[in-house]
Amino acid sequence: MSKLLNSLITELRRGTLTLAVLSQLKTPQYGYSLVQLLEKSSVSIDQSTLYPLLRRLEKQELVESSWDTTESRPRKYYVLSEYGKEILEQLQAEWEKTTLELQTLLKGDVENAPD
Amino acid sequence: MHLIDIYIQEVTRRIPEKNREDIALELRSTIEDMLPDNYSEKEVKGALTSLGNPALLARGYADRPMHLIGPRYFDMYATLLKMIIPIVAMLALIVVITENIISYNGEEAILGTILTILGHGIWGMISSLIQTFFWITLVFAILERTDALNDKTPLTPNWKEWTPDDLKSIPYIKKEKKISKVDIFGSLLWIAIFVAVYFNAVHLIGVYEKIQGKLQLVIPTFNQDVLYSYWLIVLFALFLEVAFVFYKFIAAQWTTKVAIMNTVRTVVSTVVFILIFNEDNLINLEFYKYLEDLFHFTFELHGPVKVGFILMWIVFAVIDVVQGFRKAKIRG
Repeated sequence: MSKLLNSLITELRRGTLTLAVLSQLKTPQYGYSLVQLLEKSSVSIDQSTLYPLLRRLEKQELVESSWDTTESRPRKYYVLSEYGKEILEQLQAEWEKTTLELQTLLKGDVENAPD
Repeated sequence: MHLIDIYIQEVTRRIPEKNREDIALELRSTIEDMLPDNYSEKEVKGALTSLGNPALLARGYADRPMHLIGPRYFDMYATLLKMIIPIVAMLALIVVITENIISYNGEEAILGTILTILGHGIWGMISSLIQTFFWITLVFAILERTDALNDKTPLTPNWKEWTPDDLKSIPYIKKEKKISKVDIFGSLLWIAIFVAVYFNAVHLIGVYEKIQGKLQLVIPTFNQDVLYSYWLIVLFALFLEVAFVFYKFIAAQWTTKVAIMNTVRTVVSTVVFILIFNEDNLINLEFYKYLEDLFHFTFELHGPVKVGFILMWIVFAVIDVVQGFRKAKIRG
Protein backbone atom coordinates (compact mmCIF):
# COMPACT_ATOMS: atom_id res chain seq x y z
CA MET A 1 0.00 0.00 0.00
CA SER A 2 1.36 3.42 -0.85
CA LYS A 3 2.34 5.92 1.82
CA LEU A 4 -0.23 8.43 0.66
CA LEU A 5 -3.05 5.90 0.79
CA ASN A 6 -1.96 4.90 4.27
CA SER A 7 -2.03 8.44 5.56
CA LEU A 8 -5.40 9.07 3.92
CA ILE A 9 -6.86 5.98 5.56
CA THR A 10 -5.47 7.03 8.96
CA GLU A 11 -7.05 10.43 8.49
CA LEU A 12 -10.35 8.88 7.48
CA ARG A 13 -10.40 6.67 10.55
CA ARG A 14 -9.25 9.24 13.06
CA GLY A 15 -12.65 10.86 13.34
CA THR A 16 -14.39 7.54 13.95
CA LEU A 17 -12.14 6.56 16.88
CA THR A 18 -14.07 8.59 19.44
CA LEU A 19 -17.31 6.99 18.34
CA ALA A 20 -15.80 3.51 18.44
CA VAL A 21 -14.41 4.01 21.94
CA LEU A 22 -17.57 5.62 23.33
CA SER A 23 -19.69 2.79 21.94
CA GLN A 24 -17.72 0.24 23.96
CA LEU A 25 -17.93 2.12 27.24
CA LYS A 26 -21.58 1.40 28.07
CA THR A 27 -20.14 -1.05 30.58
CA PRO A 28 -17.03 -0.16 32.63
CA GLN A 29 -13.77 -1.07 30.92
CA TYR A 30 -10.11 -0.64 31.76
CA GLY A 31 -7.50 0.26 29.20
CA TYR A 32 -6.37 -3.15 28.05
CA SER A 33 -9.84 -4.74 28.11
CA LEU A 34 -11.00 -1.97 25.81
CA VAL A 35 -8.16 -2.71 23.41
CA GLN A 36 -9.20 -6.34 23.33
CA LEU A 37 -12.85 -5.45 22.84
CA LEU A 38 -12.03 -3.22 19.91
CA GLU A 39 -9.70 -5.80 18.40
CA LYS A 40 -12.40 -8.42 18.63
CA SER A 41 -14.53 -6.26 16.35
CA SER A 42 -11.36 -5.88 14.26
CA VAL A 43 -11.19 -2.14 14.94
CA SER A 44 -7.47 -1.48 15.16
CA ILE A 45 -6.42 1.45 17.24
CA ASP A 46 -2.95 2.53 18.23
CA GLN A 47 -2.57 2.12 21.96
CA SER A 48 -0.55 5.31 22.04
CA THR A 49 -3.68 7.04 20.74
CA LEU A 50 -6.22 5.19 22.85
CA TYR A 51 -4.97 5.92 26.36
CA PRO A 52 -4.60 9.66 25.87
CA LEU A 53 -8.01 9.64 24.16
CA LEU A 54 -9.60 8.08 27.24
CA ARG A 55 -8.15 10.85 29.41
CA ARG A 56 -9.41 13.51 27.04
CA LEU A 57 -12.90 12.01 27.07
CA GLU A 58 -12.77 12.09 30.85
CA LYS A 59 -11.73 15.73 30.83
CA GLN A 60 -14.62 16.49 28.49
CA GLU A 61 -16.88 14.75 31.02
CA LEU A 62 -18.09 12.20 28.50
CA VAL A 63 -16.76 9.32 30.62
CA GLU A 64 -16.16 8.81 34.32
CA SER A 65 -13.26 6.92 35.81
CA SER A 66 -12.64 5.04 39.04
CA TRP A 67 -9.77 3.00 40.41
CA ASP A 68 -10.58 -0.58 41.31
CA THR A 69 -8.12 -1.82 43.92
CA THR A 70 -9.92 -5.00 44.95
CA GLU A 71 -8.05 -7.20 42.47
CA SER A 72 -4.40 -8.18 42.55
CA ARG A 73 -3.52 -5.29 40.28
CA PRO A 74 -5.15 -1.84 40.54
CA ARG A 75 -7.04 -0.92 37.37
CA LYS A 76 -8.60 2.29 36.19
CA TYR A 77 -12.11 1.73 34.87
CA TYR A 78 -13.85 4.05 32.45
CA VAL A 79 -17.61 4.21 31.85
CA LEU A 80 -19.95 6.53 29.95
CA SER A 81 -21.42 9.41 31.97
CA GLU A 82 -25.01 10.53 31.47
CA TYR A 83 -23.75 13.34 29.27
CA GLY A 84 -21.59 10.83 27.41
CA LYS A 85 -24.61 8.65 26.68
CA GLU A 86 -26.45 11.61 25.17
CA ILE A 87 -23.48 12.56 23.03
CA LEU A 88 -22.97 8.96 21.90
CA GLU A 89 -26.57 8.77 20.73
CA GLN A 90 -26.23 11.96 18.72
CA LEU A 91 -22.86 10.94 17.28
CA GLN A 92 -24.31 7.58 16.28
CA ALA A 93 -27.22 9.26 14.51
CA GLU A 94 -24.80 11.57 12.74
CA TRP A 95 -22.62 8.64 11.72
CA GLU A 96 -25.57 6.74 10.27
CA LYS A 97 -26.63 9.81 8.36
CA THR A 98 -23.10 10.36 7.04
CA THR A 99 -22.65 6.78 5.88
CA LEU A 100 -25.99 6.94 4.09
CA GLU A 101 -25.06 10.15 2.36
CA LEU A 102 -21.69 8.80 1.36
CA GLN A 103 -23.14 5.56 0.11
CA THR A 104 -25.48 7.50 -2.13
CA LEU A 105 -22.61 9.65 -3.34
CA LEU A 106 -20.30 6.72 -3.96
CA LYS A 107 -22.90 4.82 -5.93
CA GLY A 108 -23.32 7.91 -8.05
CA ASP A 109 -27.06 7.98 -7.41
CA VAL A 110 -27.32 11.74 -7.56
CA GLU A 111 -31.10 11.95 -7.89
CA ASN A 112 -31.79 10.30 -4.56
CA ALA A 113 -29.06 12.13 -2.69
CA PRO A 114 -30.25 14.03 0.36
CA ASP A 115 -29.60 17.75 0.06
CA MET B 1 10.57 -4.76 35.27
CA HIS B 2 13.43 -2.37 34.77
CA LEU B 3 12.47 -1.53 31.20
CA ILE B 4 8.90 -0.80 32.23
CA ASP B 5 10.10 1.69 34.88
CA ILE B 6 12.25 3.52 32.39
CA TYR B 7 9.45 3.55 29.82
CA ILE B 8 7.02 5.08 32.33
CA GLN B 9 9.62 7.62 33.37
CA GLU B 10 10.18 8.53 29.71
CA VAL B 11 6.47 9.20 29.29
CA THR B 12 5.80 11.03 32.55
CA ARG B 13 8.77 13.37 32.41
CA ARG B 14 7.18 14.91 29.33
CA ILE B 15 3.75 15.61 30.79
CA PRO B 16 2.49 18.16 33.33
CA GLU B 17 3.39 17.34 36.91
CA LYS B 18 -0.15 17.16 38.26
CA ASN B 19 -1.07 14.21 36.02
CA ARG B 20 2.14 12.24 36.32
CA GLU B 21 1.31 9.97 39.22
CA ASP B 22 -2.06 8.90 37.92
CA ILE B 23 -0.83 8.29 34.39
CA ALA B 24 2.17 6.33 35.69
CA LEU B 25 -0.10 4.06 37.71
CA GLU B 26 -2.48 3.50 34.83
CA LEU B 27 0.34 2.82 32.38
CA ARG B 28 1.92 0.29 34.69
CA SER B 29 -1.33 -1.59 35.17
CA THR B 30 -1.97 -1.51 31.41
CA ILE B 31 1.48 -2.86 30.59
CA GLU B 32 1.14 -5.60 33.17
CA ASP B 33 -2.27 -6.47 31.71
CA MET B 34 -0.59 -7.14 28.40
CA LEU B 35 1.97 -9.49 29.94
CA PRO B 36 1.61 -13.09 31.17
CA ASP B 37 2.39 -13.88 34.82
CA ASN B 38 6.05 -14.83 34.45
CA TYR B 39 7.15 -12.63 31.61
CA SER B 40 10.49 -12.46 29.87
CA GLU B 41 12.28 -9.37 28.67
CA LYS B 42 11.28 -10.23 25.13
CA GLU B 43 7.62 -10.09 26.07
CA VAL B 44 8.13 -6.75 27.83
CA LYS B 45 9.70 -5.40 24.67
CA GLY B 46 6.73 -6.65 22.68
CA ALA B 47 4.27 -4.88 24.98
CA LEU B 48 6.27 -1.64 24.91
CA THR B 49 6.46 -1.80 21.12
CA SER B 50 2.69 -1.87 20.90
CA LEU B 51 2.55 1.22 23.11
CA GLY B 52 5.00 2.95 20.82
CA ASN B 53 7.51 5.76 21.22
CA PRO B 54 7.14 7.29 24.71
CA ALA B 55 7.47 10.78 23.22
CA LEU B 56 4.47 10.07 21.00
CA LEU B 57 2.42 8.72 23.87
CA ALA B 58 3.33 11.73 26.01
CA ARG B 59 2.28 14.04 23.19
CA GLY B 60 -1.18 12.52 23.40
CA TYR B 61 -1.37 13.14 27.13
CA ALA B 62 -0.06 16.69 27.08
CA ASP B 63 -2.91 19.14 26.68
CA ARG B 64 -0.73 22.05 25.69
CA PRO B 65 0.15 22.97 22.10
CA MET B 66 3.05 21.01 20.62
CA HIS B 67 4.02 23.90 18.37
CA LEU B 68 5.55 27.28 19.06
CA ILE B 69 3.10 29.31 16.97
CA GLY B 70 -0.12 27.71 15.79
CA PRO B 71 -2.45 28.29 12.86
CA ARG B 72 -4.33 31.10 14.59
CA TYR B 73 -1.30 33.35 14.98
CA PHE B 74 1.03 32.15 12.26
CA ASP B 75 -0.34 34.34 9.48
CA MET B 76 -0.10 37.54 11.53
CA TYR B 77 3.33 36.46 12.82
CA ALA B 78 4.67 35.93 9.31
CA THR B 79 3.17 39.19 8.03
CA LEU B 80 4.63 41.15 10.92
CA LEU B 81 8.06 39.58 10.47
CA LYS B 82 8.07 40.34 6.75
CA MET B 83 7.17 43.95 7.50
CA ILE B 84 9.54 44.59 10.41
CA ILE B 85 12.62 42.56 9.45
CA PRO B 86 13.56 44.62 6.35
CA ILE B 87 13.06 47.91 8.22
CA VAL B 88 15.23 46.79 11.11
CA ALA B 89 17.90 45.41 8.78
CA MET B 90 17.96 48.63 6.80
CA LEU B 91 18.11 50.91 9.84
CA ALA B 92 20.81 48.83 11.53
CA LEU B 93 22.98 48.76 8.42
CA ILE B 94 22.59 52.49 7.77
CA VAL B 95 23.20 53.51 11.38
CA VAL B 96 26.31 51.36 11.73
CA ILE B 97 27.82 52.36 8.37
CA THR B 98 27.14 56.08 8.89
CA GLU B 99 28.56 55.94 12.39
CA ASN B 100 31.72 54.30 11.13
CA ILE B 101 32.28 56.61 8.17
CA ILE B 102 31.77 59.72 10.28
CA SER B 103 34.19 58.54 12.93
CA TYR B 104 36.80 57.70 10.27
CA ASN B 105 39.90 59.86 10.87
CA GLY B 106 41.70 59.30 7.59
CA GLU B 107 44.73 57.73 9.18
CA GLU B 108 44.05 54.08 8.73
CA ALA B 109 44.40 52.12 5.53
CA ILE B 110 41.38 52.77 3.32
CA LEU B 111 40.74 49.26 2.02
CA GLY B 112 40.99 47.77 5.48
CA THR B 113 38.66 50.44 6.80
CA ILE B 114 36.06 49.80 4.10
CA LEU B 115 36.14 46.09 4.88
CA THR B 116 35.90 46.79 8.62
CA ILE B 117 32.96 49.14 8.10
CA LEU B 118 31.17 46.60 5.90
CA GLY B 119 31.89 43.90 8.45
CA HIS B 120 30.55 46.05 11.26
CA GLY B 121 27.48 46.92 9.18
CA ILE B 122 26.68 43.31 8.35
CA TRP B 123 27.33 42.20 11.91
CA GLY B 124 25.12 45.00 13.29
CA MET B 125 22.42 43.99 10.83
CA ILE B 126 22.58 40.31 11.75
CA SER B 127 22.55 40.89 15.50
CA SER B 128 19.61 43.29 15.34
CA LEU B 129 17.77 40.82 13.08
CA ILE B 130 18.29 38.03 15.59
CA GLN B 131 17.07 40.29 18.38
CA THR B 132 13.95 41.30 16.46
CA PHE B 133 13.21 37.75 15.39
CA PHE B 134 13.62 36.51 18.96
CA TRP B 135 11.36 39.08 20.59
CA ILE B 136 8.58 38.86 18.03
CA THR B 137 8.65 35.07 18.21
CA LEU B 138 8.64 35.16 22.02
CA VAL B 139 5.61 37.47 22.11
CA PHE B 140 3.67 35.24 19.72
CA ALA B 141 4.67 32.04 21.54
CA ILE B 142 3.32 33.55 24.77
CA LEU B 143 0.13 34.69 23.01
CA GLU B 144 -0.32 31.16 21.65
CA ARG B 145 -0.06 29.72 25.16
CA THR B 146 -2.27 32.23 26.92
CA ASP B 147 -5.07 32.19 24.36
CA ALA B 148 -7.64 29.95 25.99
CA LEU B 149 -9.97 29.91 22.99
CA ASN B 150 -9.45 26.83 20.91
CA ASP B 151 -9.98 28.78 17.72
CA LYS B 152 -7.85 27.92 14.70
CA THR B 153 -9.02 30.57 12.24
CA PRO B 154 -6.41 33.21 11.42
CA LEU B 155 -6.69 36.58 13.11
CA THR B 156 -8.14 39.49 11.20
CA PRO B 157 -6.94 43.06 11.78
CA ASN B 158 -10.02 44.00 13.82
CA TRP B 159 -10.11 40.72 15.77
CA LYS B 160 -13.51 39.79 14.34
CA GLU B 161 -14.56 37.10 11.97
CA TRP B 162 -13.61 37.70 8.34
CA THR B 163 -16.18 39.31 6.08
CA PRO B 164 -15.88 40.46 2.46
CA ASP B 165 -16.03 44.06 3.78
CA ASP B 166 -12.50 43.56 5.14
CA LEU B 167 -11.29 43.66 1.53
CA LYS B 168 -12.39 47.28 1.17
CA SER B 169 -9.65 48.48 3.51
CA ILE B 170 -6.90 46.81 1.45
CA PRO B 171 -5.55 48.75 -1.54
CA TYR B 172 -5.16 46.86 -4.79
CA ILE B 173 -1.65 47.42 -6.08
CA LYS B 174 -0.62 46.59 -9.61
CA LYS B 175 2.82 45.08 -10.03
CA GLU B 176 4.02 47.85 -12.35
CA LYS B 177 2.99 50.58 -9.91
CA LYS B 178 4.43 48.98 -6.84
CA ILE B 179 7.27 50.64 -4.94
CA SER B 180 9.45 47.80 -3.74
CA LYS B 181 11.14 47.54 -0.36
CA VAL B 182 14.44 47.17 -2.22
CA ASP B 183 13.83 50.57 -3.81
CA ILE B 184 13.23 52.16 -0.39
CA PHE B 185 16.20 50.37 1.12
CA GLY B 186 18.48 51.40 -1.75
CA SER B 187 17.43 55.05 -1.53
CA LEU B 188 18.04 55.25 2.22
CA LEU B 189 21.38 53.48 1.97
CA TRP B 190 22.43 55.80 -0.83
CA ILE B 191 21.44 58.89 1.19
CA ALA B 192 23.35 57.64 4.24
CA ILE B 193 26.49 56.95 2.23
CA PHE B 194 26.20 60.32 0.51
CA VAL B 195 25.91 62.21 3.82
CA ALA B 196 28.86 60.36 5.30
CA VAL B 197 31.05 60.86 2.24
CA TYR B 198 30.05 64.48 1.50
CA PHE B 199 30.89 65.76 4.95
CA ASN B 200 34.01 63.64 5.12
CA ALA B 201 35.24 63.94 1.53
CA VAL B 202 38.64 65.29 2.54
CA HIS B 203 39.36 61.96 4.24
CA LEU B 204 37.79 59.68 1.70
CA ILE B 205 37.96 60.82 -1.92
CA GLY B 206 41.21 61.58 -3.65
CA VAL B 207 44.53 60.13 -4.70
CA TYR B 208 45.70 57.17 -2.70
CA GLU B 209 49.30 56.10 -2.47
CA LYS B 210 50.98 53.22 -0.79
CA ILE B 211 53.09 54.59 2.03
CA GLN B 212 54.90 52.11 4.25
CA GLY B 213 52.76 49.32 2.93
CA LYS B 214 49.54 51.19 3.75
CA LEU B 215 47.18 52.79 1.28
CA GLN B 216 46.87 56.42 2.32
CA LEU B 217 45.09 59.46 0.98
CA VAL B 218 47.67 61.97 -0.15
CA ILE B 219 45.71 64.46 -2.24
CA PRO B 220 41.99 65.01 -1.63
CA THR B 221 39.93 65.67 -4.76
CA PHE B 222 37.59 68.25 -3.27
CA ASN B 223 38.03 71.37 -1.26
CA GLN B 224 36.30 70.45 1.96
CA ASP B 225 35.78 74.13 2.86
CA VAL B 226 33.79 74.66 -0.31
CA LEU B 227 31.72 71.56 0.36
CA TYR B 228 31.07 72.70 3.93
CA SER B 229 30.03 76.19 2.82
CA TYR B 230 27.00 74.68 1.09
CA TRP B 231 25.91 72.62 4.09
CA LEU B 232 22.58 74.37 4.53
CA ILE B 233 21.19 73.77 1.06
CA VAL B 234 22.69 70.26 0.93
CA LEU B 235 20.93 69.41 4.17
CA PHE B 236 17.73 70.90 2.79
CA ALA B 237 17.97 68.71 -0.33
CA LEU B 238 18.75 65.68 1.81
CA PHE B 239 15.81 66.40 4.06
CA LEU B 240 13.58 66.42 0.98
CA GLU B 241 15.11 63.14 -0.19
CA VAL B 242 14.49 61.42 3.13
CA ALA B 243 10.95 62.81 3.36
CA PHE B 244 10.29 61.54 -0.16
CA VAL B 245 11.58 58.05 0.69
CA PHE B 246 9.27 57.86 3.70
CA TYR B 247 6.36 59.13 1.63
CA LYS B 248 7.07 56.43 -0.97
CA PHE B 249 7.23 53.83 1.79
CA ILE B 250 3.80 54.80 3.10
CA ALA B 251 2.22 55.24 -0.33
CA ALA B 252 3.65 51.85 -1.46
CA GLN B 253 2.72 52.61 -5.07
CA TRP B 254 3.26 55.30 -7.69
CA THR B 255 0.51 57.90 -7.67
CA THR B 256 0.34 61.35 -9.23
CA LYS B 257 1.18 62.80 -5.80
CA VAL B 258 4.28 60.64 -5.51
CA ALA B 259 5.30 61.62 -9.05
CA ILE B 260 4.88 65.33 -8.25
CA MET B 261 6.93 64.97 -5.07
CA ASN B 262 9.53 63.12 -7.09
CA THR B 263 9.68 66.06 -9.51
CA VAL B 264 10.13 68.57 -6.68
CA ARG B 265 12.95 66.66 -5.06
CA THR B 266 14.66 66.04 -8.42
CA VAL B 267 14.49 69.74 -9.31
CA VAL B 268 15.88 70.72 -5.90
CA SER B 269 18.73 68.22 -6.02
CA THR B 270 19.56 69.25 -9.60
CA VAL B 271 19.71 72.92 -8.63
CA VAL B 272 21.91 72.11 -5.64
CA PHE B 273 24.18 69.98 -7.82
CA ILE B 274 24.57 72.72 -10.43
CA LEU B 275 25.24 75.34 -7.75
CA ILE B 276 28.01 73.32 -6.13
CA PHE B 277 29.41 72.02 -9.40
CA ASN B 278 29.71 75.58 -10.74
CA GLU B 279 31.88 76.60 -7.81
CA ASP B 280 35.36 77.35 -9.17
CA ASN B 281 37.25 76.19 -6.12
CA LEU B 282 35.40 72.92 -5.79
CA ILE B 283 38.32 70.82 -6.93
CA ASN B 284 41.54 70.93 -4.99
CA LEU B 285 44.29 72.65 -7.02
CA GLU B 286 46.80 70.00 -5.96
CA PHE B 287 44.57 67.38 -7.41
CA TYR B 288 44.66 69.14 -10.80
CA LYS B 289 48.41 69.29 -10.59
CA TYR B 290 48.61 65.63 -9.80
CA LEU B 291 46.53 64.76 -12.83
CA GLU B 292 48.66 67.01 -15.04
CA ASP B 293 51.84 65.33 -13.85
CA LEU B 294 50.31 61.96 -14.42
CA PHE B 295 48.86 62.43 -17.91
CA HIS B 296 50.85 65.48 -19.16
CA PHE B 297 47.58 67.07 -20.07
CA THR B 298 45.72 70.00 -18.59
CA PHE B 299 42.65 68.95 -16.73
CA GLU B 300 40.30 71.59 -15.67
CA LEU B 301 36.68 71.41 -14.87
CA HIS B 302 35.34 74.26 -16.97
CA GLY B 303 33.64 75.09 -20.20
CA PRO B 304 32.36 72.18 -22.27
CA VAL B 305 33.33 69.48 -19.73
CA LYS B 306 31.29 71.19 -17.03
CA VAL B 307 28.33 71.70 -19.32
CA GLY B 308 28.57 68.08 -20.37
CA PHE B 309 28.38 66.84 -16.79
CA ILE B 310 25.47 69.13 -16.00
CA LEU B 311 23.58 68.09 -19.14
CA MET B 312 24.08 64.44 -18.30
CA TRP B 313 22.71 65.02 -14.78
CA ILE B 314 19.69 66.85 -16.22
CA VAL B 315 18.99 64.09 -18.75
CA PHE B 316 18.95 61.47 -15.98
CA ALA B 317 16.79 63.72 -13.82
CA VAL B 318 14.26 64.19 -16.62
CA ILE B 319 14.14 60.45 -17.31
CA ASP B 320 13.51 59.83 -13.59
CA VAL B 321 10.67 62.38 -13.45
CA VAL B 322 9.03 61.06 -16.62
CA GLN B 323 9.26 57.47 -15.35
CA GLY B 324 7.50 58.56 -12.16
CA PHE B 325 4.57 60.05 -14.04
CA ARG B 326 4.41 57.10 -16.42
CA LYS B 327 4.10 54.67 -13.51
CA ALA B 328 1.56 56.91 -11.79
CA LYS B 329 -0.59 56.90 -14.93
CA ILE B 330 -0.91 53.10 -15.06
CA ARG B 331 -4.44 52.28 -14.04
CA GLY B 332 -4.55 50.24 -10.87
